Amino acid sequence: MRCQQLSTPRRRHHRKMPPSTQVDALSTPTRAPDGSETAANAAEGAPARRQPPPESNESMWTRRAVIFSFWAVVVFLGLPVWWKTTAIYRADLPLQAMTDWADGKICKPVFPLRIAVEASALQSPDAQHLIRTTQHALDDLNEFSAHHLRLMLADSPWTANLSQQVVSDGLRISGKDEDIALTIRLVPVETGTTPRSHLQQYAPTLDVYYAANQIPPASSTSSPLATFIAHELHKMFAEEQAQLAYLLSTTSSAHSAKIKSLSPETAAELERQSTRALKYAPTYHLTFSLFSPTFVPSAWEIESALQQYLAPLLESFSSISNFTVDSQVQLYAGFSPSIRQPEYDETLNAWTLRKEDLSGFINAAEWPLSPSIGIGPTVNFVLYVPDQSQSPLLVKENGGNSWLIPQWGGVLILNPAQAANTANTPTTLTREALAPAMHTFANQLLSLLGLPQTPNSLPLRLSTLKRVRAASLLFSASSTLGALARLTRALPSIPIPDKVAISVDFTTDHLQQACNNLREGRFQGALEHARIAEAEAEKAFFERSMVGQVYFPDEHKAAVYLPLMGPVAVPLLMAALKEFKGLSARRRG
Amino acid sequence: MASPFRSLLTLLLLLATCTLAEHTSNWAVLVSTSRFWFNYRHLANVLSLYRTVKRLGIPDSQIILMLPDDMACNPRNAFPGTVYNNADRALDLYGDNIEVDYRGYEVTVENFIRLMTDRVGEDMPRSKRLLTDDRSNILVYMTGHGGNEFLKFQDAEEISAFDLADAFEQMWEKKRYHEMLFMIDTCQANTMYSKFYSPNILATGSSEIDQSSYSHHADNDVGVAVIDRYTYYNLEFLETQVRDPTSKLTMGELFDSYDEELIHSHPGIRYDLFHGGEQAARSRLVMDFFGNVQNVEVEGGGRRNETEWQEELRAIEGMIAEAKRRHNESLHTRPQLEHLVEEVEAVDKLRAQSVRKEGAVRVDEEQGWTKQVVGAAALLGCAGIWVAGSWFESL
Repeated sequence: MRCQQLSTPRRRHHRKMPPSTQVDALSTPTRAPDGSETAANAAEGAPARRQPPPESNESMWTRRAVIFSFWAVVVFLGLPVWWKTTAIYRADLPLQAMTDWADGKICKPVFPLRIAVEASALQSPDAQHLIRTTQHALDDLNEFSAHHLRLMLADSPWTANLSQQVVSDGLRISGKDEDIALTIRLVPVETGTTPRSHLQQYAPTLDVYYAANQIPPASSTSSPLATFIAHELHKMFAEEQAQLAYLLSTTSSAHSAKIKSLSPETAAELERQSTRALKYAPTYHLTFSLFSPTFVPSAWEIESALQQYLAPLLESFSSISNFTVDSQVQLYAGFSPSIRQPEYDETLNAWTLRKEDLSGFINAAEWPLSPSIGIGPTVNFVLYVPDQSQSPLLVKENGGNSWLIPQWGGVLILNPAQAANTANTPTTLTREALAPAMHTFANQLLSLLGLPQTPNSLPLRLSTLKRVRAASLLFSASSTLGALARLTRALPSIPIPDKVAISVDFTTDHLQQACNNLREGRFQGALEHARIAEAEAEKAFFERSMVGQVYFPDEHKAAVYLPLMGPVAVPLLMAALKEFKGLSARRRG
Repeated sequence: MASPFRSLLTLLLLLATCTLAEHTSNWAVLVSTSRFWFNYRHLANVLSLYRTVKRLGIPDSQIILMLPDDMACNPRNAFPGTVYNNADRALDLYGDNIEVDYRGYEVTVENFIRLMTDRVGEDMPRSKRLLTDDRSNILVYMTGHGGNEFLKFQDAEEISAFDLADAFEQMWEKKRYHEMLFMIDTCQANTMYSKFYSPNILATGSSEIDQSSYSHHADNDVGVAVIDRYTYYNLEFLETQVRDPTSKLTMGELFDSYDEELIHSHPGIRYDLFHGGEQAARSRLVMDFFGNVQNVEVEGGGRRNETEWQEELRAIEGMIAEAKRRHNESLHTRPQLEHLVEEVEAVDKLRAQSVRKEGAVRVDEEQGWTKQVVGAAALLGCAGIWVAGSWFESL
């Protein structure tokens, strides 16, 4: 590089002179390389040699005009074009707003859950009073202000006709509303211990049985029934509260101050859950694989098994995520050879694998997992049927045959011969034989998706998951915005196209809507908006054109510009210099 | 009142920090940056590392292998179809099961930075992307010809330590790694990690500034050096000490195995970026970066009895039936939910977009038109200038 720099000016002298200096060149046609002195001597020694005619005024002005116009082109056209074309385009981003989103200053997520109370057997004032006392007891129990349960009197289905005439007083809501998190049905009974409650497993309904004398009189401010309901509700939503509190504390420091302290055990359990669960994606890809070290079983009734055991479960998730499914069978595919071979355990009467070897069980080098199809992350479910000579194959520590790999999927060792009490491994695994595996896989899928364990009602757990996911998406999109803002500030040479600015606007817009929806208790809407915001934020951050070699050393810049600018700059500078010299000489002389 | 609360909070924070140590996936980015036959050893370096991490359990889908040249098929290779890293030629690294993600002229600085920051096109297959998250440990191994604060790519361009540091910072900002081991075998390698400033990177290199990194030995039949010293001794440790995925050897033990007498240069290790400093970094297991070990959760304690299991199955079938029924019900009730309509529309729009994107070939009609218009305008402009020029000339 250095050689080029040095050689450039020298080479210029041999080149053709620009037209402006041609007059000079003509005036000393035989100028010797050692200077003008020789030329002067020659002129003296040979008087026959004719002097050039004096430069006319007109040609002098022409020359100056030519030099000036060259300079004008360079300064007024060249420099701006150079500046414009080499400048890095950076669209204006609302950096402060983006940082505020990331710091949680704009949106403080709150989770107001509406709970409808159906009390058809009670008079309206009594019911209102009961709700007020229960609400009071509930508020006393609640330590986590962002998560708030609000009781409302609902129209019972069988009084719906009557209630059409009732003027809405704000405390009444229709029982058919999607945004009702839970419905409490107050049922008066005469037998059994009261009050007692029963949570319906497949509906968001809590039945509370009470005796008629447990209705609080209008004068009292508390009653056993109200306290009982409040405690039941508190217990029911404890896990959700813990999950949300944990999410708030881990994702943003701004929220941690106001969060109720979680017990260390709860925190550890939640940490385990979050380690296990996959990151949210709008679409997951499920791969079911059958691996066998021998030639059997060579077929499995996976399609009907999935249809029967898994499809409804996936359908119930459809408001949160979608799923695509594929399956494969691989024969002569043994588990990883790098782990210790199974040992025969006399007490279990089975071949055993050690627990610490399980993480190396997946034969990643040879099993064709992760088909990298579809747009979502892949969840793998591996069904391994061991060789006849090593069957049954179990885990040494607890005699189990299945394990879950966090954020990856599940594995189950199926010992079909043992289950069917036959000597040989069947060539086809029937749907019935696959049932236990599907059961395990379904449970594994639920915990991989982050479904909470309590309360024991699927719709309630799903709606909890919906809230947790909406909140986590909100946080992750916000933090992506913050990261983008920080990068924009930290790396001034990275280009930022307009597309990014548009995506950022779109993101903040949807974040705001998601936040509003959360505040109004419309969690499905919040999830939808948060999902869009997350996708847009990712799009903005991972904008394809925002890459480039950001750092150029100065030598590189010199190397790029010198061959280009040198030849242009030298005659320009020299001509201007010469002209100024001549001008000042003439002024003096 | 306040102090127990505060102590609980600190306890919670402590818990949060110490449980952060868990990662759920391992990724490896293995890059050779030089082409041509006499750089055989760089390819062998990378393929040796590839073989090791694969042996220790990182699946191919989580290994990004960048090979700028194909030594196995080079006409000067006396053993076609093979790459060896030792003169004894006991182990064919090329084997029959290697998955190269970036090959030949795809190995560029731009592609490398795109890979690390995931700024790739929509059509990039998932297998060529680094799909990591905040619970992924990444091993980045690079080898090639380098100098003070740069590493040459394919004799055509170079990546500077600044670019690399900025790329890692972008990864950290986007939570694309949990912990990273950066390993580089090149001349003046330690200068490459000197500019890093993102947390949780453990960096090691083969030689100090103004030091060369030497090859270990040559195979006279292959005709060139087959492996570099630093990589050779790393591999020696990994192959002889880390026998299986249950190994509990630490990074500290790996670093202690470096012998400057044998390596002929001063390997460097940078601890200061790592959370917890030198002590924490040294106590990380080798398998945390070179293997793919997670805490699996074993289920099904004890052997379930048959009837209990049948009952469970019946319960789940009941739940499924119920879910089905609920789903059907919600299908009927869905039109009544008015406030959801706008969201549904938005989602539908989004879906429609994604459906449109699924086409095999995406022809951007509008883009094509604007390009054509620009081209036509340029041509017309040129023609205009020419006409104007000839008109002026005729004056």
